[in-house]
Formats: sequence, C-alpha cells, structure tokens
Amino acid sequence: MPPPSRQRIAITGAGIVSPLGMGWAENERSLAADRMAFKPVELFDTTALIAKTAGVVDLPQENLFQRVPAHKQDRIDRGTRMLLLAIREALAQAGRSNMDGIDAMVMGTSAGAMPLGEVYIENARQEPGRVPSQLSRAEHYLPQRQMNIIADEFGWRGPIIIVSNACASGANAIGWAADMIHSGRAKCVLAGGYDALARLVFAGFDCLHALAPSGIPRPFDAQRDGLALGEGAGVMLLEAEDQHHSNVLGEVAGYTTATDLHHLTQPDPTGKAAIRTMTGACAQAGVTAQDIGYVNSHGTGTPFNDVAEAAAIAAWAGDAVPGIRVSSTKSAMGHLLGGAGAVEAVICLMALRGQWLPASLNVRTVDPGVRFDLVQTFRPASLEYALTNSFGFGGTNATLVLKRRSA
Amino acid sequence: MSPIRIRGVGAVSTAGWSAEALLQAVRAGSPLPGAACNRPGDERPWPCDTRRVPPVPPEKIARHPRLRRVSAITRYSVAAALEALSDAGHDPAAPPRDIGILFCMMNGCVNYTGRFFHEVQRNPAQASPLIFPETVFNAPASHIAALLGIDGAVSTLVGGPNTIMEAIDTATYWINSGVVAECLIIAAEECDWLSAEALTYYHPKLSAAEGAGALLLSASGNGPQLSAVIGPLAYTSWQERHQRLPELAVQTRPHLHGTATLIDDRTGIPKLDRSEAAAWSGCTWNAVRSPKVVLGESMGASVALQLALGTLEARATQQPVVISMPGANTAAYACVLTP
Repeated sequence: MPPPSRQRIAITGAGIVSPLGMGWAENERSLAADRMAFKPVELFDTTALIAKTAGVVDLPQENLFQRVPAHKQDRIDRGTRMLLLAIREALAQAGRSNMDGIDAMVMGTSAGAMPLGEVYIENARQEPGRVPSQLSRAEHYLPQRQMNIIADEFGWRGPIIIVSNACASGANAIGWAADMIHSGRAKCVLAGGYDALARLVFAGFDCLHALAPSGIPRPFDAQRDGLALGEGAGVMLLEAEDQHHSNVLGEVAGYTTATDLHHLTQPDPTGKAAIRTMTGACAQAGVTAQDIGYVNSHGTGTPFNDVAEAAAIAAWAGDAVPGIRVSSTKSAMGHLLGGAGAVEAVICLMALRGQWLPASLNVRTVDPGVRFDLVQTFRPASLEYALTNSFGFGGTNATLVLKRRSA
Repeated sequence: MSPIRIRGVGAVSTAGWSAEALLQAVRAGSPLPGAACNRPGDERPWPCDTRRVPPVPPEKIARHPRLRRVSAITRYSVAAALEALSDAGHDPAAPPRDIGILFCMMNGCVNYTGRFFHEVQRNPAQASPLIFPETVFNAPASHIAALLGIDGAVSTLVGGPNTIMEAIDTATYWINSGVVAECLIIAAEECDWLSAEALTYYHPKLSAAEGAGALLLSASGNGPQLSAVIGPLAYTSWQERHQRLPELAVQTRPHLHGTATLIDDRTGIPKLDRSEAAAWSGCTWNAVRSPKVVLGESMGASVALQLALGTLEARATQQPVVISMPGANTAAYACVLTP
C-alpha cells in the first residue's frame, strides 16, 4: 500500500491521439456521438488471421518532426509520431512551446518500435550479406532511441524512463511520474503511453484467440468474444502543486500498482490484485468508492478479463456498487496496449472537465456478473473523481484516481 | 532518506552461474572464449562472435510451473535473483513478501520474439499461442514475481544498460516511503543470432554476450552503501556522449577519499573505448576492472554485472569502488560504492 498522498499533483496539459481522432476536441466529439473507429487493417497482411480490423489512427502524411531531415523520417516509428502529436497538444495546453523546465519524461509502451524491428528481422533473414541501413533499424527499434528523437525535436535533455508492463504501461508511467513528484525527485514530468499496431503483436493476440472474430468488441456483454486492437498515444504534463500554474486541468490524486500472480495472461477470477489497486489508489486520494463518479474500466471484452474486473469492482465498491458508473472506451477505439492506460486517463480527465460519461458500446445483453451501472450511451453527469483501471499480461495491475478542477 | 545498501548480489554471466565466478573471471582479466554465431540455415559472409552463458548446473535449475518453457533470459534472471536473496541472508524458497521487483532490459526476450515472428511470416494461423506471451518485455519479471510470491510493486523498464540507475532511484523511493521493505533489481539479456549480428554493425569485433545481474537493495543490514550517484548526463548522439563523459570524472572526484577500484565499461576495442578512457585518464586507481573485455557485450545486463562485481570488490577490499557507466543511447552515469 503506498503512503497517503501529501504532494498535490496538478495536470497542466494533456494530449490524446486515438482512432477516434487527433486531439482532445476530436476525441470528445467522437465519444459524445458514441462513435466506433474500427476499420480494416492495411498496415500489414491479415489474410490468414481471424481478425482483420482494428482501431487505426489516420496519421497526417506530412513530416511531423521538423528537426529530422526528410531522408531520415523513415527511422521514426508510427507510435513515436503519435506520441509527438500528443506531447505537442499537452505542451500547448500548458502554455508551453517546448520542454524547458521538464525534469523527466516517463513513457509506457508495450511494443516500442516493433515494426522497425520486424523490417530488421525480415532483411536479416532474406539477405545473407550485410544490408544497408540495418544498423539504423537495429538502433531505432529500441524505444529509447525513438525517445531521443523526441528529445531532439524539442532540444531537451533529461532522464528518459520507459516503462513496459504490457497493457498497464501507460498507467504505470503516469503513476511513476507522480511518484517522482511525490518523492521530490522532480517538479515537472511529462508522462504517458503509446503503441502502434504491429504485425507480430496483432498475430500474437490473434493466435491466442483473444481478438473478437467480428472485429467488434463488446465489453461486459454476456456473449462477448474478444477484444479489438487499436493504436494511439496519451500524454499528461504533471507538476507539483507548489509550482506556479495558470491552468490546472485536474489532479492525479491516487495511484497504486500490484501484481496478479494467477497466470501470465489470465487474471485471477476474483480480481484480487485489482481490488488492491482500486482500494489503494482511493486511499491515497482520500476517497471511497462512493466518491468515484466514473470508472473507466480495463474492459477489454475478453471473457476472462471482464468477469474478473466486474467481480473486483463489486468487491471494492461493496454496497455502493449499483451506483458506480462504469464504461469501457475500448469498445469504441480498441485496446491501445501500452497506450491504453494513458489514453484512458486522458479520457477520464476530459470527462471530469466536461462533466460527462463516455459509453460502453455494442452491449446487447449485460453480463450477469455486472452489478454496477454500465453506461451504454454517452451522458452528462456530475463527477468530482474518476478512476481508471489498467491490467496487463504478466499480471501488472494499475489504478489511477483523477480529481476534477473547475474549468 | 536512509542510505541504500546492496545487501545481496547474484550474477549469471559468460563466466558462469554465480557472482563468485564473475569476480574470479574479471579479476583474471583474460577474455573468455567465444564461438561463431551461426545463422539458422544460412552462411554469413562476415564473422560474428558470441560468448554464451555456459550450460546450467543442475543445482541452479529452479522448479516452478511458470518456468517450464521460459526463455533463457528468464532462467538467467531467476538464478541471479535467487542468489541475491540468498546472499542477503533470505531463504530463497520463502523470501519476504514485502519485496519489490524492478526489472531492466534492452532487447528483451529476443529468442522467442524471433521464433514467433518467423512463425508469423510462415503461416500466422499456425503461430504458437504458447510462445507469444513469452515475447512480452515484462514476462521475465512476471515469472520471478510468481516464483517468489511477490504480488506488490513489480515493474519492467526498457532502455539502455544504464536504465538500472533509474530503477535504483525508484527503489530508493519505494524503500524510504514504505512501499516495500527491500527491492530486488534485476537486469538481463539473452543472445540470439539477430542481436549478435546487430552488434557487428557497430563494430566487427564486438562480441555479443548475455547474462543477468541482480541486486537486493535495502535501507538496513550490511553491504556496500551506494554513497554517490553521478548523472544522468543526458545525450542523444555519440558525439554528445563524447563531450559529456569528462563530467563523470569531475563530478566523481569530490566523493573519493583514498584509493578506489574502478569498474569501467571498456570493451577492449580502442575506437569504442576512447571517450571513456579519456574521461577517467587523470585518476589513479587501486585496480581497474573491465568486465566487458572478459565477458563480452551483454547489453542490458552489463551495468547490473558491473554493480554486482563492484559490490563484491568493495566487500573484499574494504575500499570504495567507482562504477563507470557511459551508456550507449541516452545518458551516462557513475556511482560510488562505499564498504
């Protein structure tokens, strides 16, 4: 259990790139319209796979990195491009044009620049001799080299920390950054998560039969049959409250991480670790389940995850569970893996700012294990605190509690 | 903040399956023998050398349902972690549950990743669902947590070899704030033909190696104290790295009183070592150890092996040890271990 939070942590900027849109405004419009963003994957061949669709980001065609020459733009992974756009939005919201004064960058990713690694492997297998640009591919496959490109873009130097706890990475990164501020090791940290679709990862989830054959994820539906993958990036600029701020969007009020030892890929059916993280994050925030106005669930749409999470929410909320409002935004954009926790944290912040609840889409019959208020269509609401769950392969569970600041 | 001590160390390296084997090999100073790294089904028209971890001794095989089909990186990490716990006086079969785990790596589970991707290229419909989860960066940390029954704070960091210093920074916070009582920090790497080839693009004489180093950090008990950490000195290019490295020596000197041992990052290849050698050139040392010259380039595991070695040297000599960590991609560090 982490110690109670003393240092208030202000969110002074947030950026989001998701299959629902570029930036806060487009994402808010899509969520308000209960829009889904799944389409056929054209980044790689899906012919032999069960699933063929995903939440795909429409990236701008132009060169996004101004300090990288045109002939070197192919060294930059899709995920890094999304991350740059999210960082730019977060900095702009905070009234900054650069990263001066930022003490550290903490980013979560599950796959890093896997597509560049895939090209490296393909070239190495096909060519017995030395292949031009292989050194560059080997280097830029490393996520820290991708982060260097972002650091160079802003002329920034500082610690770069890359958290890789599978699907909890983005939430862990934000929590990690909050811990850095709590401990006095930093005053201002840029934190978030990202991942782009990659052939290896897509095929991996497909072979596990974790992807919905129809391409439509139905979190908390009684007949749910799997998740849909997506891609994107979410970023928050976190600052110690004693800093001078002109625009505070919200607070990171609580964070806890724990480990589910049940199985490498399947959660404990009772959601033991999730109960622990939800309880811990609320204790750190100084709130109870009744105070949480919205839960953005991990809600993948797989049979195992949703039943375990529903059980955990029921145990955590106790008698208050019928009033706990829950949805899974993965139903609209897919599972963003290393980006999921961060993007969903930004959505919670948007919900707190806008006083609304995003929906869990595609539900036909609610699973009998669901005892909470499953939000099935976008609705206005009054809320002061939002909680977001992220659970990953390997058993990493993470919960963040965010607090509203009046607009 | 209480000072942090390294209570226990463990190591699996080219030198063998113990920290003592690492110490003896590095003190002897002779490069360990390498072997040509073969491509599956192919000839390679240029030499590619690797130095592999020797076969596992029977007493080092940990048994647990989770460990049945794990990759080499997990096996090395488990052995190093259990040795570190034992070295700290814990029963590795029943360690305290309030320990945190921070795992660091650069390339990760490359053997299974390469194998799974090959299966996907051949026919994705027949790719193995057993292999894919083992390709995920945090699979080794998850297995170790399951083996030790640690269900609290467990996290994996990906980055250059010096990422372990960020892990130590966070472990210090976790320990001092009561999140955990002690923290096991592990950094590991496994070798395959793809990563071995990649190293030859940096320099044809670079010999790929593998292994794991583990440290048990604590605010109590015995063991060398991490008395100074210099860095991160951030850089994004090799040229910038060259410019920043002299700061390591300048900032380390005020922390040194009397003679010390230097454990450096040199590979034995002058072109690659020049900047680091120049940075420390004005210093006088009781002894200089260069583990990479002996063991080969173990990438994400290399700094953990330096720290494990430094701990053993500090214990043996009762003198300070300086670890030089110029890094490869993002930042340079140095640290001082005081007995």
